[in-house]
This record gives sequence, C-alpha cells and structure tokens, in this order.
Amino acid sequence: MSFSRLCHLRCAVRCDLVKVSSSSAFIAKLGGPCAKELSTNSTQRGSVAQHHSKPDWNRAVSEAEKIVGYPTSFLSLRWILSDEIANVALHLRKLVGSNHPLLKTAKNLIYNGKNNMQAWGLIVLLVSKAAGHSPKIPDMEQDKAAGVLHSQRALAEVTEMIRTSHLVHKGLVNMNARQRASITEEPDDMMFGNKIALLSGDYLLANSCSELANLRNQELVELMSSAVRDLAEAEFMGERDDQNNPLPSRPLSKEEREEPTEWDCILEPLPMRGVLGTAAREWAARHVLAAGALLGKSCSAALKLAGHDAHMQTQGYLFGCHLALAWQAYLDLEAFSGPEPSSFSLVGAPLAFTLDARPHLYSYIEAGRASVHHVDYHALYKAVLEGDGLEQTKRVQHEHIARARAQLRSLPPGDARTALANILVAMHQDHY
Amino acid sequence: MACLSSSRLCARVQDKLMCQFGHKLRKQTVFVKLKPPGPSPLRTFGKTCQTVTTCGPTCGAGSLPVPGGLVRRFASNLQSTSTGSLPDYGTQIIDPYRLLEDDLNGIYEDIRSELERNTNQSELNTIATYYFDGQGKALRPMVAILMARAVNYHVYGENSALLPSQRQVAMISEMIHSASLIHDDVIDQSDFRRGKPSVNVLWNHKKVAMAGDFILAVASMMIARLRSDDVTLVLSQVVTDLVQGEFMQLGSKETENERFAHYLTKTYRKTASLIANSVKAVALLSGADESTCELAFQYGRNLGLAFQLVDDLLDFVSSAQAMGKPTAADLKLGLATAPVLFACEKYPELNPMIMRRFQESGDVEKAFELVHKSRGLEQTRFLARKHGAEAARLAADLADSPYQKGLVLTTDLVLNRIK
Repeated sequence: MSFSRLCHLRCAVRCDLVKVSSSSAFIAKLGGPCAKELSTNSTQRGSVAQHHSKPDWNRAVSEAEKIVGYPTSFLSLRWILSDEIANVALHLRKLVGSNHPLLKTAKNLIYNGKNNMQAWGLIVLLVSKAAGHSPKIPDMEQDKAAGVLHSQRALAEVTEMIRTSHLVHKGLVNMNARQRASITEEPDDMMFGNKIALLSGDYLLANSCSELANLRNQELVELMSSAVRDLAEAEFMGERDDQNNPLPSRPLSKEEREEPTEWDCILEPLPMRGVLGTAAREWAARHVLAAGALLGKSCSAALKLAGHDAHMQTQGYLFGCHLALAWQAYLDLEAFSGPEPSSFSLVGAPLAFTLDARPHLYSYIEAGRASVHHVDYHALYKAVLEGDGLEQTKRVQHEHIARARAQLRSLPPGDARTALANILVAMHQDHY
Repeated sequence: MACLSSSRLCARVQDKLMCQFGHKLRKQTVFVKLKPPGPSPLRTFGKTCQTVTTCGPTCGAGSLPVPGGLVRRFASNLQSTSTGSLPDYGTQIIDPYRLLEDDLNGIYEDIRSELERNTNQSELNTIATYYFDGQGKALRPMVAILMARAVNYHVYGENSALLPSQRQVAMISEMIHSASLIHDDVIDQSDFRRGKPSVNVLWNHKKVAMAGDFILAVASMMIARLRSDDVTLVLSQVVTDLVQGEFMQLGSKETENERFAHYLTKTYRKTASLIANSVKAVALLSGADESTCELAFQYGRNLGLAFQLVDDLLDFVSSAQAMGKPTAADLKLGLATAPVLFACEKYPELNPMIMRRFQESGDVEKAFELVHKSRGLEQTRFLARKHGAEAARLAADLADSPYQKGLVLTTDLVLNRIK
C-alpha cells in the first residue's frame, strides 16, 4: 500500500517571511488524483461492522450524532437569531414562485437527506472524538460530555459554513447577455436571487473567517483558507456549459496521456498535468478539489487542534479525502440504481469510465456544450449499463473505503471510531 | 426626535464620534507606554533598510526600471482640483506616491504572481488578476505603507524601515478590496469599472463569484502566513464588516435620523473599516503600543469616511469619463447617499423617493436635480472636510517624519481628488 510513503515528506512552501514549521507540512500523496495503483483488493469488507450487520445510512448518521452531542447543522438557534440571516429569510420569501436555484439550495440545507453532505461537520467531530486530544489541553477548553474540544466544534461549524457558502455561490444563475434570451423567468427575480445568493454566501464565508481567526492558530487558518481556494478552483476545472455545469474532457489516447505530477504539498494548488482526459484521474482530481480537500483538511485541522503530530494530521487528511471520494462514488452509482433518471451527472465516475472505454461516445457530450440539457441522457445511460463503468466505479469506491478504513485502524477503538466505521459500511452497501 | 434636522444630527454624531477618540487619545498620549518587547523593525531590519531608504526616490527614478511609469500615474490620478487649498508644509513635502515609489513599485505584479502561484486553472487566474492591472489608485496599499513607515519612525526613529510583513498587509488590503469589487459588480450589474468592462460583463457570474472567493482565500492564506493572531483578527473583522455593510445597503430606515446614522455605519463598514483595520494591522506589526495602534485605526477610519463621502459627492458632480464609471450610479442603484440625505432637509419630497429606492420613472433625474438645487453637496463636502481634518490632526501626533507629513498630505489628496 502506498500510504506508508505518505509520512515524512517535506512541504516546500515558498514564503519570504515566515518559515513554515514542519508540523504544517504534511503531505498528500493521495491515491486520488494520482490513482495509479488501484488495487482490487477489498477483502476487509464488512469486518468492521461490529454492532450492526447491515446498518442503514440514516441510522449510522443519527447514532453518530448522539455520540458527539448535538447535530452540527448551522441552522442552530444562534444562526436563526442573527440579523443577516433573518434578512436573507425575508428576501427569500420574495423569491418563492420564481425558479431561482437558491430556493433549491436552501431547501436541501434544511431537509437533511443523504444526498447532501450535511454530515461533514459531524465527520469532523467524530474524527476529533475518535482521536482524542493531548493531555496538556486545559479542562476549560473541553466539551467533556461530547468528548471534543470547543475549538473543534467551532472548526466543524466552519467546515459546514465553507461548504454551504460554496454551494450557495455555485447556485448563482448566469445572467450574461448571451444567455439572457434563454431565461424565461423574470430577469429581475433572477437578478435579485443572485444578489441574495452572493451575499449569503459571502456572509457565511466572512463568518468562517472570523471564527477561524478566533481559534488563534495561524497554521490552521492557512490550511482552511487553502480549502476555500480549492473549492474555487474546482469550478474552473475542465469544460463547462453556459451555466458552468461541468462536462467531462475528451478522453485521450494512451500515447497522449502525460505522467501526472504528485500533489506534494496540499497548501499548493492541485497540479493539473496529466489529469484532464484520463478518466480515473480526472474524476478524482475534480472531486478532491470540490469535496475531498475541504473534508480532508478539516479532519486534519481537527487533529492539529487536539495537539496531534504531523503524522496523525496527514492520516486525518487522507481519511477525510478518501471518505469524500468514496461518498462521491456512492452518489454517482445511485443514479444508476433505481429507475432511469431523466438526467444525471455528466462527470460521474460510471460515465467517465464508459467514455474512456468508448471514446466515440464523446459526441453525445459535445451536444451539451451550450447546455447540459441538450445531452441525450438516455443513450448515455444505456451505454453505461452496457459497459463495465459501474463495476469500475464500485472498485474505485471500495478502494477508497478500504483506504479510509485503514486510516481509521490507527485510531484507538471507541464509540466514535465505530460510528465512523458504520458510516463507511453504510456507504458500502450495494444499491441494487 | 424626528424634528432634529439631519445636519444637526449628523453634526452630533460627528462630534460624538470625534470626541470619543479625540479626548481619549489625548489623555492616552500622556501615559505613553514603553516600547513593547519583541522584534523591532529597527533591530531586525535596520541595517539592510537603511541603504534602501537612502537610495530612495532618486534611485527609483533613475536606475530602476519603472514599468510603465506606474507610480507617476498614481500621483496624477489623485491630482487635486484646487491647488490653492494645499497648505504649505515646507520644501521637504512631496507627493506620498513619490515618497513611497520604491515600496509601491511592483506591488500589483506581486499580487498577480501571488494569485498565479495559487491556481493551476488559467481562466481563474485571468479573472482574478483582471483588476490588478495597475490602473487603480492603489490608495489602500499607499496609506498602509505610509502609516507603516510613519509608525516605524515614530517608535524606532530615523533608522527604521518597512517590514516585509507590513508590505504584505498593503497587498492584502488591495486584494480584499478587489475581491469585494468583483462581488459588487455581480450584485450591482455594473458595466464599467476603472474605464474598462467590468468582470461580470466578460465572464459568467458563477465564475466571477468564485474568483472573488478565490482572491479572498489567497489573501487569507497570506494573512495566516504572517503568523500573528492579532493581525488575523483585525483583518478578519474587515471581511465581516464588508458583508454587513452590503447587507445594510439592501434595506433603508424609515426616519431621517435613523437613516443618517444607518448611512454612516454603512459607510464605515463598506469603506472605512478596510483602511482603518489595515493601518491598524501595520501598526501592530511594527510593535507600537496600544494608543499608537488606536491612533492609526482612527486615522484610517476618518480618512476612509472622508474618502467615501467625497466618492458619493463625485457621483453627482464628476463626469463619467473622469470617474471611469457611470455617474449618478448610486441613485440608479436605489441608494440614498449623503448629498441626497442632506438635500432631504430642504426638499422633503425626496423622502418618498428614497423609500421607493428611486424606482419610478423620473425619480433619478428629479432627485439629481434637487440635490444640485439644495446645499446637499456643500454639506457633504463640509462633513468630508471635518473627517479629513480629524485624520490630519491625529497624524500630527506621530513623530515628525516625511511619512508623517505624507499622512497629513494624503487627507488633502483624498479631499481634493477629482476621480
């Protein structure tokens, strides 16, 4: 396994003023963007499920919430009482009846389904509790009942705020002249919706800035800021339609593919060499930027707060990153598990592998240049089912689960670790 | 309360605010504390920087290649309209942009390369660096560096020099400013800024929003690398203020009194906070005592308020060409700024227009006309001058140095600018 190589690598942050201490210099030589050695070995399947033979998703999550106290959703009382949020709620009412995606985003935040990553803060808290903290930390800073530090709880909140802010900003509607004709809705509604979406996202981002500043740990601020940067980068990767929906890149032939550069230091941006046009790598890089980096960096930051060493922090990063990728693979597979959906993600792993095997299918993708709605989803759906895209996706998913589980094993046993293992098991179940 | 006229109220708010810090500061300066322990710019950087300072302006103009006359352009950007109003400070006074030529030189290049280093997506890089083309006034970095040098001089004397971390803060202040401009452009749907198409015209709105987030993230990484808890706290306050100011702009208040207070708070949060907190940050980095940091903060706050008041004024009197953006833009956005609020006193018919945010046809034109007929512009200028004078008074408390004089001169530049 490659994760033995992961520790003790150097991070070369170029910085004229400050020497970055080695503790911040942990490495992500993550199997993700450089998924060269995907082992098919996932024999440990199910062995961690100590308490339930087949825990379902909701059960795994709600039991986990009990372990670390209260749910971390930012829709807590404090938030409802904030002036700005009240303001947003007021304005949101004006949008009801319009078609602005902000409404959908808001709904998804409130109705906690497994389709969204509401549980991110929860994961951060579970990792915090499972790893414990250094005995040097004074009692005052601990939430004894939940077994986590107050600072870790604040961090979990920051993770959710950053995540939500990103989702809200992603939900803007493009109103450029070129597309105006295609928007049937009242342009004023859309404009107003954009304004509120942008401001709400900024509000969350500004709050995470000050929450982070209050933790008084500059390495942590740097790490979490780099996660915000990664999320922004994710929205620029590869081809896009007019509404900035992602499209997969044209698959490259074996000869055209470049060797990827490893992501030696996660404070630096993710290298793009040899990524686009290579199914597995492109998929992994895309979702590392859009999800894995934030969850991984948050888990790592939680361990930093507890006084764990650089090695542990790296493991925390890897756990979060692999968990996020496994989760993404799970969501990608979901589209193909029930009745045929009217549309599905064009950058999901099953389609990526299918395109890789049959590059001529890319002409279907090109039809979606202007809008992903012009793509013939039925034809692509059939093509995915005919090929081995789903099997390959499952293999990738199992690989990420196995790696996440391997990181878990280095933590001391306890209820939080079991809860994390149960979440992994719940993800592992087949959709069929 | 409603019978209080807005100008009286404003004068009261004004006095109150000024008294608060004015008196407090005077008292505090009596008990000036000893230099705090810790690295001093003098001790750490004294020797190297001495040479830098001595080779100052002459060197920059002569041997160093100045790309496109960057700094000279800055100076002309802030040229004053009424030259007669500039007080005579003696012969050693020069334009602060000239004074800081070496420090400001390449600051946009440095910001651009910092952004470039943080992304491998070329389009993101293009959008993020769009406003860092050197066409801006660079007022924020200039004031930050000026204050840094003035405070260093105040605390450590003649041989002090600019700390690299202080220059970083100058860059960060411009980055935070640009990130907020980029988001403002999407919110306000503006077409032009700084004489060129604004970002939201050229790129899709989601990408523009993300580019703003990106600049903020990079700026915040730079802040973190300064490894100072206090500086991070001070600068994170700026971001919170900016957003809260933007939220305040969405709503308006019913009564005149509330409206003016609301306007002043909004102006502080949207404009003055960034300047005030970045000059406070450079003072913190220099290791100055609490009262000096507070002095720096209040200087920045007053300068920022004066700056924004003049901006609101120029929106009514300047030509579109000079500003690089359309005029009466605030009215068109439904915003009632100081000139309108003052004009309200004489022309109460403006009140319903303010409440409906100048939405009905003819509102903008009518309001524009009434503002010009009233004393609104004059009163706005008066208020701006008061803040400018207060800033100058505060700057005068620092030890006498070219930079300290530059701070005083900057208040005049801000008050007399034409764009």
